[in-house]
Amino acid sequence: MKYAVQKIVSFVMTLCLVSFLVFAAFAVIPGDPALSKLGTDATPSQLAALREEMGLNRPLLVRFADWAVSFVQGDMGTSYSYDRPVSGMILDKLPITLTLAVMAFLLTIMIAVPLGIYAARHEGGKVDYLIYCINQVTMAVPPFFLGILMTFFFGLVLKWFTPGGYVSYQTDVPGFVRYLFFPALAIALPKAAMALKLLRSSVIHETRQDYARTAYSRGNNTNQVLYRHILKNALIPVVTFLGMALADMIAGSIIIEQVFSIPGLGRILMTSISGRDYPVVQAIIVWIAVLVLVVNLIVDLVYRIIDPRIRME
Amino acid sequence: MKKKKNWNLIIGSLMTGCMILFMLLGLFYTPYDPEAMDASSKLAGISSAHLMGCDNFGRDILSRVLKGSGTTLFVAAGTVAIGTLVGIFIGALTGYYGGILDEVLMRIIDALFAFPSILLALVFISLIGPGKYNVIVALGIAFIPSFSRIVRSQFLYQKNMDYVSSAKLQGASAFRIMFVHILPNTLPVLSSSIMIGFNNAVLAEAGMSYLGIGVQPPDASLGRMLSEAQSYLVTAPGFALFPGLIIILMVLGFSLLAEGISHAGD
Repeated sequence: MKYAVQKIVSFVMTLCLVSFLVFAAFAVIPGDPALSKLGTDATPSQLAALREEMGLNRPLLVRFADWAVSFVQGDMGTSYSYDRPVSGMILDKLPITLTLAVMAFLLTIMIAVPLGIYAARHEGGKVDYLIYCINQVTMAVPPFFLGILMTFFFGLVLKWFTPGGYVSYQTDVPGFVRYLFFPALAIALPKAAMALKLLRSSVIHETRQDYARTAYSRGNNTNQVLYRHILKNALIPVVTFLGMALADMIAGSIIIEQVFSIPGLGRILMTSISGRDYPVVQAIIVWIAVLVLVVNLIVDLVYRIIDPRIRME
Repeated sequence: MKKKKNWNLIIGSLMTGCMILFMLLGLFYTPYDPEAMDASSKLAGISSAHLMGCDNFGRDILSRVLKGSGTTLFVAAGTVAIGTLVGIFIGALTGYYGGILDEVLMRIIDALFAFPSILLALVFISLIGPGKYNVIVALGIAFIPSFSRIVRSQFLYQKNMDYVSSAKLQGASAFRIMFVHILPNTLPVLSSSIMIGFNNAVLAEAGMSYLGIGVQPPDASLGRMLSEAQSYLVTAPGFALFPGLIIILMVLGFSLLAEGISHAGD
């Protein structure tokens, strides 16, 4: 319990620090938001009035506190380009990006765990070698190129899905999930290759430990030793990796969304970056940071469950 | 893969060698001007005149790939240089001295480390704008946290070794101990993270250029070519295929090489 409290406190502190860094970064950029909103032919008095209205004259920390409080209350500011509240622009996109990342995560586990265990059990065999070769190549493929290849092969040649034919989750949930399958696979494959490699070497390492030998000598068969003893220990480094991978997948979905024309967070992020629409960029970055940090928190807590030896640092 | 021969090392160095030669060639020679448009050979297929075909403006893809791989390698090298140098500096100071400086810097580094580096780079790009040099700066900064952590943990481990105490007794300055005595001993660990970092930089640059916020025209870039090619997948599959293949070969060769070196060191 104490462990969980400590982790949650550090989660909140990190979140504050990250959002402050993001806020400060956007506050010190050259260029005046008031000027960009009014255009260059605004009079100095108009500019001063707008600056006052936008609160640009106050100290950075005060502005941050204000911004953070309203962010928590669901007010994320107003988009410069569209003059609409940012929250309305991004809240209904959040589930899209999140579903994509979670699907990719599940696919990663579904691919990496069985194959990793298989490769470790048949270490040095033909299949192990084949998996090793495929793995090395998969790790070298950029996910967006994998996405392009899938669009070409599964979309245009085999016609298993319509490239660009995104289905909204608000109208058709099964269709939405079906459309996200290939994008999720494109994100998942390189990560699965890395997880597989890690799991394989971790299982092989644990198999050579004394406790595994003891378990064998007590008359357990391979399956019993593997699933009751070895896997518990072998999974620990893999869980750490998967936590970081999930964070990467949330960020990686930004690129994959462009490949498959999915209107998620990535799409607005890109248009806002090129349009210098800072309130939107800021809100999306902070949202992604929240997601990433929540994932890290969950990993820390899960860690404790699978490995009770972990005490507080 | 308990083979006697270190195949990873052999294949990896062959592939990396070829890719470096390919890139060097691109610096001095391209069969056509990478920017020269030719309406008559628009989306032309593979032929003896255009070994990889032509793009939607009739530009020779081979020439553009040659040029683009040079840009990619340049950006990746610059990124890793920034990340490593600043990372060594921060990691050495925090690891060697510890104390309050370490606490503060590591808090920030940990917070940033939890962040996917591509996202950090996106934040910086949205602040300073796209372009070849800005990508180097943005990615370089995004790579600092991971390098700092690796260097710091190495310095923490090394600073209590006997050779450091004896250097201290001989009156060596802290600067000398850090950079002349300890740093060379961190190289085995550091070099493998530099190689991994290099691959990540290649992938990140390609991804950012694909999104249109990385390397900007007129600089040719493999990522950008891929995004242009995406609309012509049916009419000219080679347009997307070749730049993608070059990225894969680059990353694959380097990761095999890195693995081969670490096996050879065992």
